[in-house]
Amino acid sequence: MRRGRSWNAVLVAGLLFFVALVGLPFWWVVSGSFKIPQEIIARVPTMFPQSFTLEHYQKLLSSSDYGTYLVNSLVVSSLSAFITLLLAIPAGYAFFRLEFKGRETYYRIILLAYAFPSIVVLIPLFGMFAKAGLVDTRTALVIVNVAFALPFAIWMLRSFFASIPKEIEEAARLDGGPPLTVLWRIMIPLTAPGIAAVAIFAFVTSWTEYVFASVMILSDARRTIPVGFSGIIGQYQVDWGLLLAGASLAILPVVIVFAFIGRWFVTGLTEGAVK
Amino acid sequence: MARKPILAFAFVAPALLFLAATLVWPLVSAFVLSLQNVRGIGTSGQWVGLENYRFILTYAAFWESAGLSLVWVLANAIVQTLLALAAALILHQKFPGLRIARTWIILTWIVPTVVVVMIWRWLFSTSGGMINPLLIQLGILNRPMGFFATPESAFATLVFINSWRWFPFIALMMLAGLSRIPTELYEAARIDGASAFKRFTRITWPLLAPTLTVLLIIGTLLSFNVFDIIWLMTQGGPAGGTRTLPILIYETAFRSYRMSEAATIAVLATMLLMAFAVLATRSLARSGDER
Amino acid sequence: MAVTELKGVSKSFGVVRVIEPLDLTVESGEFMVIVGPSGCGKSTLLRMVAGLETVSGGSIAIDGVDVTGKEPSERGVAMVFQTYALYPHMSVRDNMAFGLEMAGLPKAEREILVRKAAETLQLEDYLDRKPKQLSGGQRQRVAIGRTIVRDPKVFLFDEPLSNLDAELRVQMRLEIAKLHRELSATMIYVTHDQVEAMTLATRIVVLRDGRIEQVGTPNELYTDPDNTFVAGFIGSPQMNLIPAHVTGTDNKGHALVDVPMLDVSGFAVPLRDPTVDLPTKAVFGVRPEDLIQCDEGATSDFTLTCELVEDLGSNVFLYNAASREDAIVAELPRGTHPAPGDRVPFRVSDGTSYLFSPDGQRL
Repeated sequence: MRRGRSWNAVLVAGLLFFVALVGLPFWWVVSGSFKIPQEIIARVPTMFPQSFTLEHYQKLLSSSDYGTYLVNSLVVSSLSAFITLLLAIPAGYAFFRLEFKGRETYYRIILLAYAFPSIVVLIPLFGMFAKAGLVDTRTALVIVNVAFALPFAIWMLRSFFASIPKEIEEAARLDGGPPLTVLWRIMIPLTAPGIAAVAIFAFVTSWTEYVFASVMILSDARRTIPVGFSGIIGQYQVDWGLLLAGASLAILPVVIVFAFIGRWFVTGLTEGAVK
Repeated sequence: MARKPILAFAFVAPALLFLAATLVWPLVSAFVLSLQNVRGIGTSGQWVGLENYRFILTYAAFWESAGLSLVWVLANAIVQTLLALAAALILHQKFPGLRIARTWIILTWIVPTVVVVMIWRWLFSTSGGMINPLLIQLGILNRPMGFFATPESAFATLVFINSWRWFPFIALMMLAGLSRIPTELYEAARIDGASAFKRFTRITWPLLAPTLTVLLIIGTLLSFNVFDIIWLMTQGGPAGGTRTLPILIYETAFRSYRMSEAATIAVLATMLLMAFAVLATRSLARSGDER
Repeated sequence: MAVTELKGVSKSFGVVRVIEPLDLTVESGEFMVIVGPSGCGKSTLLRMVAGLETVSGGSIAIDGVDVTGKEPSERGVAMVFQTYALYPHMSVRDNMAFGLEMAGLPKAEREILVRKAAETLQLEDYLDRKPKQLSGGQRQRVAIGRTIVRDPKVFLFDEPLSNLDAELRVQMRLEIAKLHRELSATMIYVTHDQVEAMTLATRIVVLRDGRIEQVGTPNELYTDPDNTFVAGFIGSPQMNLIPAHVTGTDNKGHALVDVPMLDVSGFAVPLRDPTVDLPTKAVFGVRPEDLIQCDEGATSDFTLTCELVEDLGSNVFLYNAASREDAIVAELPRGTHPAPGDRVPFRVSDGTSYLFSPDGQRL
C-alpha cells in the first residue's frame, strides 16, 4: 500500500519509539557488562562503553554454576514444551473437530484455568509433590510448567486446526485414514508453523518461570537460570557489573535459540496453517 | 460426523486429567484448607467451618489488597493494550526490516522475569541507573528520584515494567488478528475514499474487536496473577503500596505461617476471577464470534 | 461395477429438513448427475452416499451391501471435491498414493497404480510437484487421479468444475466423459449447471428443496418434463411458461387452449394423458428454440413485438419485454436482426408445446 509522507513520519517515529523501548534496556545491560566498575556507576552514564573488561564474566563464572543452571533450564524447558505439545495437539484437535458431549463446556473450563492465581496451587502442589517424593526434582518443574502452558496451547492449536479447510480432512477420511493417521500425516504437517509457535510459547513460559522453581528446587545442582540468577542477585546485591554480566548470560541462550526459530513464532502466530 | 465418542475421549482425556491433577485438585485442597486452622506447611489443624472467611472479609488488609489488585489489573490493561495496539498497527505496515522487528520485539517476553526485574531495578536505581540521568537530560526531572520510594511511584513503575514485559506478546496476538482482515476490504475502502482514520475506525477496529476482547480477558487474568515481578521488585512495599492479592496470599502463607487464612484469600480471589471470566466469556459468546 | 441404492433416505439438521425421504437407484456403470439450484440438498445427498454425513432416516446400499453406518473409507467410494482438497504438503504422487497406502498396499504396487493413473490423466511430468505448483486444471486432474487409483465401486463428484474458468470447464467435462467411457465405472455427479448435466449424464436427477422432481435421461427431461420446474431448469434459455385457459379437447389427444398474452385461441397442445380431467386455468409451455419465425404471408400462430435482441453469434434471441420474467423468448435464424417495435410472426413447431396444471404438474 502507498502511504502519505506525514503517515510515513508517524510510522518512523512510532518505530523508533518501540526500538528504544525494547532495545535500549538490553543495549545498556549488555554494553554495561563490559564496562569497568567506575564507568558503570559514573554520575553521567555512557551510551557507548569507554572501557572494556571481562572481569565481571570471569568473576561470575568462577563463583557460580552458570553452566549447570543453563543445562537445567534447557532440559526442563524442552521437556515441558514437548509434553505440552503431546497433550495439547490431540486435545486441540478433538476440541475443534471431534464431536462429543459437553465439548464447548470443557473448552471453556480449560481457559478458566488461568483464573487460578498460580500462588493458590503452589501450597497444595508442594504438599502433593512432597508425598510423591518429587520435591527438589526437575520432574516437578516440568509438571508445573506444562500445567501452566497447556490451556493456552490448546486454545491456540484449536484455532490453527480451524484454519484448515474441512474438505482436506474429508478427503483423508475417504482415503481411509484412521483419525490418528489423519492427525499425524495431514493435520500436523499442515499446522506445523502454528505448532512451532505453541512449542515456543511453552518453552518460554517454562524458561522464565521463577516462583515454583524457587520453592520446589532446594539443591544448587538442580536450579534453573531464574533461580540460580536470583541467588546471585541476593549474594552480590550492588555489584552491578557482575549482575549485568549475569543478566547478559541469562539472555544469551534464548537470543540464540530465537535467532533460529523466532520467525516461526511470528509466522506461526499470524498464519497458523498453510492455505 | 459419524465418529465414535471413545476416540474424542482418548484425545481429550490426557490433557483434562493432567489439568485436573495439577490445577483443579490443588484448588480443592486449598478450599479444604480454608475450612481449617492450619498454620505452618505440613502441620495439621482442626475444622473451623467458615471462621476464616468471616475473619478475612472483615480484614482491612484484604480489602486494601483487593482494591490494589483491581487498580493493578485496570492500569495494566490500559497501558498494555495501548502499547500493544500501537505496536501491532506499526508491525502491520510494510517497511524494510519488518521481519526483524516482528521477531525481536518479543525479546522482553522471552527473558526470565528475574532478569527483567534486575535490569529495571538497575536502570531505575539512583546509583548508576540510566533512567534518572536520561530524564534529567531531557529536562523532565531536575534531580534524581527514587522510583520505588513512595507507594504511588513504586506502583506506577511496576505497572510500566509488567506492561513492558507483556505488551509485545499481546501485540503479536493482535497482529495475528489484523492479518486475518482481508486486504481487499482496505482497498475497497480506499476506492470509496475513506481516510486512514476512517479505515481504522470502520474496518480495523470492528473486525479486530473480537480478538481484542479475548486478549483483554486473558490479559486480565494473567496480570491479576502476576506475582514474581512484584515480589522480586518490592516485596509488596513500600508501606504495602504494591501488595496485591497474590502478594498478600504469599506473605500470609510463608511469612506469617497462616496457611488456612492464605488459602481463604486464595479461594476468594479465585471465585472473583472465575466470576469475571465466566461473565466475560459469556458476553463474548453472545457477541457471536464463536464458530 | 456396483448398484447404488438409496431407500427412504432423509436428512435433517436440527429441525430443518434438507432431504425429504427419497428412493433412488443408480445402476451399475451409470453416470448419474444430480442437478438442482443451490441449497436444494444435492451436495448433502452426495455426502450421505460418501458417508461424510449421517443419514437421518433410510438406508444406503452399495453393491448389495448396506453401508448406512459405515465409515467413508469402508464404502468403496472415492470423491472429487469442488475445492480439490489436495494435501498441500504432499507431492502429486503422494496425494494419489495416500489412499492406497492407507489400504495397506505395498510401495511398489502403489507406484504402478499411480503411474497408470498419471498416464491416463497426462500427469506423468508433474508427479513430484506440490499442488501449489500446478494450474487449476492440473489440480483437478490430480483430484480425479486420486480417485482413479483406488478403483472404487462408485465415483462421487461434488461440483468438480465450478472453480475452473469456462474454457477449462469444457475441456475437463470432455475428459470426465471420456474417463467414464474408458473405466465404465459408476459415477454420481453433483452440479448446479444444467449444461454439465445434459452433456455428461446417462440419467439426471433434478432435485428441489430436498425432493426429487424427476429422474430420466437428458433427452427425457428435455422433451418430456414432469413439471414446470424441470421444464424451466433444463434448457437454456428457459422454456416460456405462459398462463392459459383450457377451452376443450379434440379427439387426437390434444387440449385446446387460449393464450391471451399471445392473442391465441383454440391452440392444440399434446397431452400426456388424454383421459385426465383438465382444469380451466393452466400453464402453456414452449421452448424458445421451438418457436419458428414465419415467412411473410405464411400462416403463423401468433406475433411477438420485438423489444430486445440478444445476438450470441451462433444464436439470436428475441425478447418481447425488457425484463426476463415477463418476456417471451424466441430463437431467430442466425443473422436476423429485427428492430425494436417490429412485429415478428411465429409458429410453434409440431408437438413441442406442453401444458401444465396451475400447481406446475404436467398434464
